[in-house]
Amino acid sequence: MSAPVRLLALVTDAFGAPGGIAQYNRDFLTALAEDAGYEVVILPRRGPVGAHSPARGMTQLGARPGRAGYVAAALRAASGRRFDFVFCGHLYAASLAFAAARLRRSRLLIQLHGIDAWAPPRPGARKAFARADLVLAVSRFTRAAALGWSALAPERIVVVPNTVRDVFVPGDRQAARVALGFADEAVLLSVGRLDGRERYKGQDRVIDVLPGLIAGGRRVAYVVAGAGDDRARLESLASERGVADAVRFVGDVGEDGLPLLYRAADLFVMPSTGEGFGIVFLEAMACGTPALGLAAGGVPDALADGALGTLAPADRLGEAIAAVLDGPRPDPAALSAAVAERFGRAPFRRAVARLAERLGEAA
Amino acid sequence: MCGINGIFAYNPAANPPDEAELLRTRDAMAARGPDGAGAWWSDDRRCALGHRRLAIIDTSAAGAQPMTSFDGSLTVTFNGEIYNYPELRRALEAEGARFRSRSDTEVLLHLYRREGAAMVKRLRGMYAFAIHDEARGGVFLARDPYGIKPLYVADDGWTMRFASQVKAILAGGAVSFEPEPAGIVGFHLFGSVPEPFTLYRAIRSLPAGHTQWIDAAGSREPRPFASIAAVLAEGRRRAGRADEVAARVRAAVGASVGAHLLADVEVGVFLSAGIDSGAILGLTREAGQSRRAITLTFDEFRGTPADEAPLAVDIARRYGAEHVVRSVGRAEFEADLPAITAAMDQPSIDGVNTWFVAKSAREVGLKVALSGVGGDELLAGYPSFRDVPRWRRRFGPLAAAPGAGVLARRILAAAAPRLASDNPKALGLVEHSGSWGGAYLLRRGLFLPHELDGFLDREIVRDGLARLDIDGRFRASLRPDPGSDVGRVTALESAFYLRNQLLRDADWAGMAHGLEIRTPLVDYALLTELASVLPRFGGGVGKAALAAAPSPALPDSVAARAKTGFEVPVRQWMRSTAESGGARTSRGAGARSWAHFVFGRAAATGRAA
Repeated sequence: MSAPVRLLALVTDAFGAPGGIAQYNRDFLTALAEDAGYEVVILPRRGPVGAHSPARGMTQLGARPGRAGYVAAALRAASGRRFDFVFCGHLYAASLAFAAARLRRSRLLIQLHGIDAWAPPRPGARKAFARADLVLAVSRFTRAAALGWSALAPERIVVVPNTVRDVFVPGDRQAARVALGFADEAVLLSVGRLDGRERYKGQDRVIDVLPGLIAGGRRVAYVVAGAGDDRARLESLASERGVADAVRFVGDVGEDGLPLLYRAADLFVMPSTGEGFGIVFLEAMACGTPALGLAAGGVPDALADGALGTLAPADRLGEAIAAVLDGPRPDPAALSAAVAERFGRAPFRRAVARLAERLGEAA
Repeated sequence: MCGINGIFAYNPAANPPDEAELLRTRDAMAARGPDGAGAWWSDDRRCALGHRRLAIIDTSAAGAQPMTSFDGSLTVTFNGEIYNYPELRRALEAEGARFRSRSDTEVLLHLYRREGAAMVKRLRGMYAFAIHDEARGGVFLARDPYGIKPLYVADDGWTMRFASQVKAILAGGAVSFEPEPAGIVGFHLFGSVPEPFTLYRAIRSLPAGHTQWIDAAGSREPRPFASIAAVLAEGRRRAGRADEVAARVRAAVGASVGAHLLADVEVGVFLSAGIDSGAILGLTREAGQSRRAITLTFDEFRGTPADEAPLAVDIARRYGAEHVVRSVGRAEFEADLPAITAAMDQPSIDGVNTWFVAKSAREVGLKVALSGVGGDELLAGYPSFRDVPRWRRRFGPLAAAPGAGVLARRILAAAAPRLASDNPKALGLVEHSGSWGGAYLLRRGLFLPHELDGFLDREIVRDGLARLDIDGRFRASLRPDPGSDVGRVTALESAFYLRNQLLRDADWAGMAHGLEIRTPLVDYALLTELASVLPRFGGGVGKAALAAAPSPALPDSVAARAKTGFEVPVRQWMRSTAESGGARTSRGAGARSWAHFVFGRAAATGRAA
């Protein structure tokens, strides 16, 4: 038997940290270790090994939050026993990853998540990016954006979509609604940070169209999940539009509370323009709830160009929401299965295994 | 000539191909293949192939495409001709392969099954094809060594789309029109869009002489299997003698012309008053059949030395050809102009002549014609074979001093404003002569890089030059070093002017009339045959050898005739069409204003979507 392929992962966080990117890193690296037999060494900036533990074949080194310390630790790790690959989990670290890869002639893999890769990065990262052996992008849009600022061969950027976790499955919808205090109103739901600087998630767009929806004689509640400094602005917008009663800010419900919330909703709606992929759309649909977004960024990927969810024109958001609410509700089990077939754990692991095979053929 | 296309939803996240899109793309190429249309779907519905047919070999239904192997595991859609298919077929049959048609298409299936990607090394011809390989779960693409047949790909990370034409991919409706700065800048530098770029970021050309594999793990980088520079470098290592030239040219070109006559329909010849087409016509006689030859003549030239018809009549008579002389005038040019710009797949400052000669051939019922294109590249016929090495030697050392070129350009522009306006490229002489590629650009270029800011957005120029990496592309076309001055210029001319301009023009202009244009002087086997004597072709030796190749040889009046303005009247019409307002004219201004005109038309296509 040949020695296992060794990979050094330079990531912001992976095991023991919250958030979508940490989740993706865990999913990706675990699949490499479990399905492709890679020996994975992870150097995180943040996060202890706590809530989740790495699988066999994986080692997570101690977190190095300081920049200088992280650089030193990365170069030290890369200069020891040779790694076949250096995996760069975030574009901003590409220069460091490139330097680390150069030490022992490791091949360089770079992960692109989303908005981080939409605008040209700093020259150092850009140069390093042009030298990548393979780049993984979560969506077609992110891939195309990177190919816009980089002359990297297009074949070197592959799309590996996010994967939805197994906890997001359909459940007792009536019980969920009772638990959350909903009666017969149509419940719209958004899940996402309320970030005053970014403001791209689009909760304000939904609030804007609420009066029109309600004027149609419909009873509508809009549930805004997620915390952040933009909440006050959204609250006053709701008052201005005269729909303060219809909008409920429920704050950060935590990972455990999400499935219940998704199941209770009639429509997951998030007219965001800044999603690298839009994992929340998948989570909602995996729970059996229809989803609606704009054809912007990675959202068409999550909604499978309209095959799984609804892609609404930005200027007809209200009509698009009304149309879904008025139409028949999709069969939750069928919707969930369709999501799992494309974006579940199994296809994700197969994609990573195929990628490992491709990396092997080029060697 | 045919048109091919396909949609492969290789990423499991992607939706299956849309049938309406497949047919929109396919039928946007209806002119390429008026004799039939086919579509094929893989069992899992993840891959669809389309084909428009121009039936030339085995014109029966047995030759229809896409064509699937007996066991159902391989399916091909193919555009082009495999000239050595009878030999290949005999060899395959000897190994036990069974055939159900007489078409060259079926040979591809058997060869792929036996040799996989290496199969392309066995093919002599012009081709672009796609093979769906059920067992390996992927699609194999290939394009001939010179890039005679086009193949464009658009990979969005989920789905790979491909077709013989850029406009056909766009007609499918699923690919972005976002502009590619490298294609825009490249067009203005060369007068044609240099591969692998197109005017659109999402669409690229599969480079000539490359294969590509696509499966669920994504599309792999195209792999080269042929290199003009390598053939020339190899030839240089066993250099031939001067006294071999005539016999070698006669034998090799004769064999190529013979190979290019393979067809189940009549094959005609484009005949000008030049050496290349005359020699081809003469050499076809050895195949025994009577031929029809088509000559284009321009009303403006009647009775002047620029009129090609009288000499062409002599040549046709000499070789016993049935001669068709077709006259074209300005009114017809203007009437056809909308159709010309519509058929022009990517903008080009040329191709109008080919449009009319192809149209004439089709009018008399021909489906196939031989063209002398490529003779000047192979046999050192262009002035570039003299100028590029000379400039390189004269100005190259100056250019080595940092900043000297730009300085020289600025001084010239200030000191000699007339020179700058009459002959803007002269300003770049020092700046660009430092490398073979730079000197070539100077000779062949439409605009030089420093001129682009005058009419293109600065950001597009900056981005485009960076993405195009023109020096890197020149260097790549000269790797390995062909080892001789003639070889270097042949490699550059073949990789740029011939590939991106002449061959592409022959494709779209012939295709628009359902005419297959064959190019006996653009043939990788021929190049390989002649590589060892090619360094001796300079100073008119190569062209003289070609003129002497047929028996009887071409008359001295043809062999001695200076290269004339075959293109002149068309350039004049182009200029007045493009300028329609009496703009000032300078040397090369006709081509430049025509370039602005065709680019404007192409850009309008993008905006209209």
